[in-house]
Amino acid sequence: MTFSIDRRNLLQMLGLAAVGGSVLSRADIAYAAETDSVTIGWPSDVPSWDPNLRFVPDAQPLFKMVYDQPLDQAPDLKLIPNLITTWEPQPDGMSMPFEIRNDVKFHNGDLMTMEDIKYTFVDRIKSGLKLDIANSWRTLTDIEILSPTSGVMRFSAATPTAPQWLAFLGSYVVPKAYVESVGAEEFAKKPIGTGPYKLVDYQMNSRIVLERNEDYFGTKPKIKRVTIDIIKDPSARAAAIQAGQVDLTVNIPVREAERLGKVEGLVSEINPFTRLILLQMRNDKGFADQAIRLAAHHAIDKAALSKAFYGGAAVPLSVPATPGTPGYLPDYNFAYDPDLSKKLLADAGYSDDKPATFTLAATNGQFPSDFDIARALVQMWQKVGLKVELQQIEYSKYFELNRGGQLPEATLYSFDNATGDPEIFSGYLMNPKMPFGAWKGQEIGDKILKLFVEPDYEKRITGYKDLAKEIVETGANVPLLQSVQTLVRKQDLNYVKYGNAWVLGNTMSWS
Amino acid sequence: MRMFATIAKLLVMRVLTAIPILFVVSMLLFGILRILPVDPAAMSLPPNATTQEVEAMRSEMGLNRPIYEQFGIWLGKLLEGDIGRSIHFRQDVTSLIGSTLPATIELALLAMMVGTVLGIAGGLFLFYVRGTRAEAVMDFVSILLLSLPEFLWSLFLLLIFGVFFEVLPFTGRLSPGFERPVVTGFLLFDSLITGNIATLLNAMQHMILPSLALGIALSPALMRVLRSSLLDAYQDDYIHQARLRGLSEKRLLVRHGLKNAILPTLSLMGVQFGFLFGGTLLVEIIYSYPGMGNLMVDAIRNADLPIIQGAGLTYCVAVLVISIVVDSLYLILNPKLRVR
Repeated sequence: MTFSIDRRNLLQMLGLAAVGGSVLSRADIAYAAETDSVTIGWPSDVPSWDPNLRFVPDAQPLFKMVYDQPLDQAPDLKLIPNLITTWEPQPDGMSMPFEIRNDVKFHNGDLMTMEDIKYTFVDRIKSGLKLDIANSWRTLTDIEILSPTSGVMRFSAATPTAPQWLAFLGSYVVPKAYVESVGAEEFAKKPIGTGPYKLVDYQMNSRIVLERNEDYFGTKPKIKRVTIDIIKDPSARAAAIQAGQVDLTVNIPVREAERLGKVEGLVSEINPFTRLILLQMRNDKGFADQAIRLAAHHAIDKAALSKAFYGGAAVPLSVPATPGTPGYLPDYNFAYDPDLSKKLLADAGYSDDKPATFTLAATNGQFPSDFDIARALVQMWQKVGLKVELQQIEYSKYFELNRGGQLPEATLYSFDNATGDPEIFSGYLMNPKMPFGAWKGQEIGDKILKLFVEPDYEKRITGYKDLAKEIVETGANVPLLQSVQTLVRKQDLNYVKYGNAWVLGNTMSWS
Repeated sequence: MRMFATIAKLLVMRVLTAIPILFVVSMLLFGILRILPVDPAAMSLPPNATTQEVEAMRSEMGLNRPIYEQFGIWLGKLLEGDIGRSIHFRQDVTSLIGSTLPATIELALLAMMVGTVLGIAGGLFLFYVRGTRAEAVMDFVSILLLSLPEFLWSLFLLLIFGVFFEVLPFTGRLSPGFERPVVTGFLLFDSLITGNIATLLNAMQHMILPSLALGIALSPALMRVLRSSLLDAYQDDYIHQARLRGLSEKRLLVRHGLKNAILPTLSLMGVQFGFLFGGTLLVEIIYSYPGMGNLMVDAIRNADLPIIQGAGLTYCVAVLVISIVVDSLYLILNPKLRVR
């Protein structure tokens, strides 16, 4: 065999490679580092740039940078004025007069008026467009315009949480004239809001580029350009922050966050926020007996779960509300007591020969460590004599299974509520007419339906606090942990931490 | 002229046979997705929708009709070019696929080039070192390459070149600050025709790692097939006769050995391209590459049946097109087939 790669061939190949390499290297890798710009590694994209269209909790911070909500939330989640300056829910809960600012402009220069508010919350919904906000505002019958800056929201039933919903999912004001002139589809392609940033470039599932709105009515952002890289894979997000390709990222595995926190120039945080990790319980099948439900709850070492899966940062919960929110009971504790579990089971007639059995359903990858938590629960239950089968389900099937009564006795579930209001925690989770909860007990259901139309704030909150205890003490729901958001950022990048895990470019600055 | 006539005849035949294949695939896709325990009506509404609202949506979407009737309606719309409307994105599936497909095609073609270069070079080297100790080493290397899936290569390359050496970008198609020309959706092509060289080079940088990950995973099968095809070819008399005629080993390899051994390799490349297209799914997620794989993962996560159906059909069409191209190349390279 005389065929060979001789020295000349080799040198030719090396030469070609060198030329190719030098040409490519001339295109600089533009890493994030400039002081008037920031690059964020975010785990998901918006479903559409029409902010009224779909409810996606992770997309809310992205919408909030381009659009405004009538009301806003402070970092401690208290409602604060935004487009609406004053609001007065009436004692019967059937109407709410409000006033708006007169100095707010859309990105195209048009003035925002009461017509835009009415269009967003009434006319758009009535026009037959399939908007998710239609479901949150189904009791809103009209917005009566009293003057260019004042109006009244009128409801078909008492709607005490209207102010909370004005700062919640999908409630973003869109420009009536612009949407009507270009149509909904074109609006979603070239969105215009009143928010602190304008959308200047968007590539689905890849990148969002925002530029400061110099005419913004509120506090002007310090950062001129915000680039959001959509990086769905947690390992890739961790790699991107380590390599300096992004300045801040969220939702990477806890262990990775802890590791990156030790890297020079980076800071990591594990922040609890308004998301519950809980067990949705049925009141029939293997859980018809309250003793088994309570035995299952007493057998769970929540602190151990937090330590094992969230570095101890996830707060163990005894009620379905997170610390700092109105429905939380700081002095109430549902004990971890395996001996009591065993006693409850023995008193109910269960033993090693005749064990209580049930099935636990859990998603795998819907939220951090979900399936691992489920496996740990099964082991904890085994220790007290509960025989549990673990079943994996897809999150997309949850509502369908629940609707058909096909969920097993217990389902591991996570529930977001950026407002922190107890109606959207206990109320939504336990309302038998809503699709979230598996519990169909009428007694609790009736109490919740009354609270849904209770216009008096104090009575409503007290009612939910009492209900939260009852829910837990009857085994109707098993709150486990307050979920955490991991966040890694460059040391000299500052941001404002929100109790609901919003990460907003307009609150960022470089030291 | 005869060659072109034969190729044209083949093209017509393949297009005609593609029609029933597409029909069966669309039927299977539709049927299997309807068996899944997900409710497209419920998925298209927010979680706080009432049971009545879900029922109304089910009726509007025609989901309460018999499955064959639903298929008939879907097929009718498909023939009019309407693949449906995405449940999650509330946009036409055609426009979603149209906006993501060019990125995937560009990536798959580049990966194919990388895989082909590595595969053919590796195959030639394996053949060159046959019978030596280096053959065992190369065998081990090729098996190692073969046993690692694309997504592991993706993570490995990302950590080495993106994090450890920090020489290559690994998120998206362009670095922040680069202008993105939009003409056809094929970024490399668009950058070239608009004369945007900086964008072109930056886009190429972004494609190095994902195309390497896909290409490396593709190459070992090509290496091994080429090596064994060359070994077979070298057993034939014409090689011995050519050698007796005094042809150099290099000329022997290029003019005779490779020309005959390349046919099975080409056939394998056609098959592998189909797999490669599917392999972009996880690679696109890891590299935040905005292609159809990324869209497909979203669709699966949200049980967005219209996108899954549309993307499934697109993959099927892509595989059929590639197989037609490969068959045509076969005809060009192998005169015997033209005679038949």
